[in-house]
Amino acid sequence: MRKKTWVLCSVIVLSIIFLFVTAYSQDNIKYVQDPAFTKRMRPAAVFNHDEHNENASIDDCSTCHHFYKDKVKVENETSEDMKCSECHKIDKDPVPLINKYHLRCKGCHEQEKAGPLMCSECHVK
Amino acid sequence: MHDIYDFVSGPMVWVSLIIFAAGCIYRFISMALLAKEKDPFLYNYMSPYHALRSIFHWLTPFGSENMRKNPVFTIVAFSFHICVVIAPLFLFAHIILIKQSWNVSWWFISDTMADIMTLIVIASCVFFLIRRIVRPEVKFLTSASDYIILAMVAAPFITGFWTYHQFAGCRIMGIIHILSGEILLAAIPFTRLSHMIFFPISRGYIGSEFGAIRHAKDW
Repeated sequence: MRKKTWVLCSVIVLSIIFLFVTAYSQDNIKYVQDPAFTKRMRPAAVFNHDEHNENASIDDCSTCHHFYKDKVKVENETSEDMKCSECHKIDKDPVPLINKYHLRCKGCHEQEKAGPLMCSECHVK
Repeated sequence: MHDIYDFVSGPMVWVSLIIFAAGCIYRFISMALLAKEKDPFLYNYMSPYHALRSIFHWLTPFGSENMRKNPVFTIVAFSFHICVVIAPLFLFAHIILIKQSWNVSWWFISDTMADIMTLIVIASCVFFLIRRIVRPEVKFLTSASDYIILAMVAAPFITGFWTYHQFAGCRIMGIIHILSGEILLAAIPFTRLSHMIFFPISRGYIGSEFGAIRHAKDW
């Protein structure tokens, strides 16, 4: 009886840990959501991180997660652990940060002639 | 889709903006020269005080006798003109696109507000259409071009509403939306929509003649 309770408890605890790890891991990113945006004008942009990078053949994390120091891009350094808004700060006006996101996504799609361009293609209702 | 989008959101924007701006300047200058040749007295009678006084009265809701006689039309016409200008110029999505292209931005209205204004424009267009068909004095003055112009004005707003709410086929509707906006912009100087640039001139002249010469109100 005691052993059974132990096993059950372990299973529950492990599954909770598993749930949290997967929920917060990079693998499960499905939307671009920056907490810096307090008021949302549109639904969060659909973005399946792994699937996207596989389709687009992006191996270098710094393609998106770049790191700048004194306005110069630091090679071999990335910023996955940071929110974009940590550097691209919102100072009352959200438009500059929104623009950064659009340039990062849409700008690349335009350059590569692949991927969505129109509002409704990313901000799906 | 990429090529079509790039085309309508790139070179076509410039084409329509240049036609609009150059068209306005051309129409303004050619009208001024025509007036100098045919109605030179227009320049002698122009009185800035009386012109501005008349323009002010006609820009004020119910500021003229005619507006007070047709209250419904006055309300619709004023709401239409306010919304038709404010909604596209201060729409959030447009601001973002302009910021992306030219790195400039300005104040924007909420999407709910834009939605309401868009519906006001569409409803007003329906009102103007019915008015053209039903009212004999308006029907008498109506030609096919008036219906086309009305459709050209309504089109960007209907397609914009459709695209924003992501109804079926919203991607192609988005392309039509951009195109219809460009066509409308380019058409302004060369159609009756040119009242946008000529309104102050014609109103100002009538105001001058009535105010300075006849000593009468023209509102």
